[in-house]
Amino acid sequence: MMGLTDLFNMSKPEGDKQKELIRQLAVLGVKNPSLCFQCAKCTSGCEAMKLLELQPHSVMASVKTGFLDEMMNSDVIWACVGCFKCKERCPQEMSPVDVMFILKNWYVMSGGSLPGDYQNLLQGILSTGYIQEPVEVLDKDNKGWSREKLGLPKRGHPKNINGFMSALSQLAAEKL
Amino acid sequence: MIRKLGFYPGCVMSAEQYAYEMSIREVLPDLGVELVDLENTSCCGAPLRSVNLLMQMYLSARNIAVCEEKGLDMFVPCALGHLSLVETKNRLNNSKELREKIVKKLKENEGLEYRGDLEIYHTVDLLHDVIGVERIKEKVSNPVKWKIACHYGCHTIRYTEAGRPDAAEHPSKMEEIIKAIGGETWNYSEKLNCCGAPLMVTHKEAALTKTGEKLKAVKDRGFDALAIVCPYGGRLLDGKQEKAGSTIGEKLDVPVFYLTQLVGLAVGRNPDRLGLNLNLSPVDRLI
Repeated sequence: MMGLTDLFNMSKPEGDKQKELIRQLAVLGVKNPSLCFQCAKCTSGCEAMKLLELQPHSVMASVKTGFLDEMMNSDVIWACVGCFKCKERCPQEMSPVDVMFILKNWYVMSGGSLPGDYQNLLQGILSTGYIQEPVEVLDKDNKGWSREKLGLPKRGHPKNINGFMSALSQLAAEKL
Repeated sequence: MIRKLGFYPGCVMSAEQYAYEMSIREVLPDLGVELVDLENTSCCGAPLRSVNLLMQMYLSARNIAVCEEKGLDMFVPCALGHLSLVETKNRLNNSKELREKIVKKLKENEGLEYRGDLEIYHTVDLLHDVIGVERIKEKVSNPVKWKIACHYGCHTIRYTEAGRPDAAEHPSKMEEIIKAIGGETWNYSEKLNCCGAPLMVTHKEAALTKTGEKLKAVKDRGFDALAIVCPYGGRLLDGKQEKAGSTIGEKLDVPVFYLTQLVGLAVGRNPDRLGLNLNLSPVDRLI
């Protein structure tokens, strides 16, 4: 049977990644995950715990231990709702939600395929500036209503769409 | 008192949650807030946090800059959008490195000047703090006498450090507004529970389960209706009630209103101008 020591030995010395994670968190104004003392208050309030078995304190433990590649490539971090309860309630002022955002960003940067509808959202923003275009909605009598029919003005959009797209594509290749 | 604000509706409200936008446009001018439409806006970036935080912050910063060009403070009635903009403003104020990177890109690519020193309001603090409960109360001609549960939505109240419209653990401003317009309300155990909306991107069934559980709680606690202040949540809580019900094996029929629709009804606005025909939940049972 594998003991705890074996588990720790499996962890790779990902010193550079660890440093980079701490640096990026600092850019966001978030403290070093090493201060996490595993009280699991984050997990006890986590909105994705019951249904999707997300345990933010376990993610923090894995990150501290150096399993960064494993976490980055795990489905588990994509279960985070982004409700910010963990960040709000952590007695050590840690932010598991921000750690998971950064790990997901790394996964995408490393060429990982975007899960779910993220590809569509991104495509929408890159082509029109928004995740979705205004649609004609149906009321309960199945009558269609557009912004125009409701007397709502046209919504704003990026005037210089080329400059807009260029800024976003430059940022896609940059480090936080 | 006339307060002029740049109106930034964000993606979901301007693309499909028209009832929220209509009721905002119908109600606020009467309460002393003039809304100025902004032309050069885009997504706030919040849906891209998981994909690329720099893109998220760029998008938030550019919408701030678009409003600042007009010399106005800003009204962002979407909870996700409000948090993303406020958080970005803070982060750019706190990190010189980040600020330089984003400000330079805004200037070079879109000719936008970012300052980041405007006020950004959400529906809850605009109604409660800026307009004020007393002023709303004075205008009430047609009190809504229902038992109404309040749902703030995660991003309206969290996280404190970012500066939110109400307290993270014990928010009460929506309740005060509901009482001012004649409604009855009380705290319930599930008040802070998430509606599941952000999970629709990757885990649809889990998202609908959360929506269903939230609505079931509202029903079980004896409320007549639910008040909301987030278009992302409205899409599910109002629009996907049948699906959410079948996901959790319950029949759900909770009338869901945007807070601005309720205020509009109470101050005597025409229900058609409040977009009430667009709510897909059974609101006509009450009005």
